[in-house]
Amino acid sequence: MFKNLAAMNKPPISMRERKVSRFMLFFEDIVKVPLFRCQRCGECILSSTAFICSQNCPKRMRNGPCGGTGRDGSCEVYPDRKCVWYKIYYRSKFLNRMSLLYKFKKIHNWNLEGTSAWLNVFKKRIEPPIWFVHNDKQKVKELISG
Amino acid sequence: MTLKEKIESNQFIVCGEITPPQSCDGNILREKLKYFKDCIDAVNITDNQRAIVRLSSIASAKILIDEGVEPIMQMTCRDRNRLAIQSDLLGAASFGIKNVLCLTGDYQKFGDQPEAKGVFDLDSIQLIATVDKMNSGFLLSGYEMKKAPEFFIGAAANPFAEPFEMRLINLYKKAEAGARFIQTQPVFDLETFTRWMEKVVGMGLHKKTAIIAGVMPVHSVKTLNWMKEKVPGIKINDEYSCRIKAAADPKQEGVKIAVELINELKNIVGIRGIHLMPVMWENITPIIINESKIKEFNKIGL
Repeated sequence: MFKNLAAMNKPPISMRERKVSRFMLFFEDIVKVPLFRCQRCGECILSSTAFICSQNCPKRMRNGPCGGTGRDGSCEVYPDRKCVWYKIYYRSKFLNRMSLLYKFKKIHNWNLEGTSAWLNVFKKRIEPPIWFVHNDKQKVKELISG
Repeated sequence: MTLKEKIESNQFIVCGEITPPQSCDGNILREKLKYFKDCIDAVNITDNQRAIVRLSSIASAKILIDEGVEPIMQMTCRDRNRLAIQSDLLGAASFGIKNVLCLTGDYQKFGDQPEAKGVFDLDSIQLIATVDKMNSGFLLSGYEMKKAPEFFIGAAANPFAEPFEMRLINLYKKAEAGARFIQTQPVFDLETFTRWMEKVVGMGLHKKTAIIAGVMPVHSVKTLNWMKEKVPGIKINDEYSCRIKAAADPKQEGVKIAVELINELKNIVGIRGIHLMPVMWENITPIIINESKIKEFNKIGL
């Protein structure tokens, strides 16, 4: 079904690029850490999770919630917190970005941990962010029927 | 007939579940197996359930095969990274284990060693896709194997956790990734389950993947309360706890409730089987199966 399951190191990350990446990360952190509690996974999927960082999940689920979300939407591991995917679902609904939740997210490449996602997009290692979704409801319908 | 053939030929499935012992004594497993042997199509082998160290699911599944029972091996992402998962799967295939249930796994905090590091390199949907890729002859690295394993892939679904629609999206993704059968969490709330099943049928997912409803016989109020408190994302109707509390013989009442649930569930459109989870109460399995007459049940159509 899915040909490329895991994000690859292509093109390979050179030492020089790591230095550039560190520099970029400084600016990226200024934006992403206060806004999204970014965990610096380097493989940003914020745009398809309604701008809530899925990596704040204790299980680091990238594709959807585990089975442990409580009645009130609490996390099973830290009951005083809300489940990250619970928040993602309601914000996706609010922002009309539901069709993005149906997308398969690739297996995380741990080599990209702590690198700049912006640079990785530029180098075409990871997919670019999706800013606008048109006809969301139509897309969901097509996905289910197709 | 294997589980795969049975599901593909639209037979009604009855699965069981065994929790391996917390020791290396395989005889405990064989002892428990007696209750399942003749009345069940396949038996789930849990993989360090609730993050408590137990006999490994691969070894237990091998014991089951030697005893002539078809195992459904559970594989969790909590304890293994992608390398270990693939090599364990290859090992399981070499033993002749065909059925794999792909799970994310309970968080290690709930276990007896909460200090452990959880791996969670893949999640359940990625694990299903990985097994599916291995079935087509490739490892995750892209290396082409000389012989491809033939796994029959299963997954879990929890219709009772919030948010309701997200559970359907999850199920859709699991079916798309390659899950051929789905086992649900134990049903103690028929109303929510029916509502969920209607949506599943509406999305046409019951044709892509066989949905097997979970039933858990409970023998005391204590167990029910424990589940309510400790098992996250489970929904238990107060009706059942009241009934068991009021009954003179709670065990008898537990059997009665399980049989009732099975009879209700088997007629729901889209249900292709029942998954019995008699945790720590294995000897009740043949009684429940006899009383509910589920072996003779033949569902016409989906």
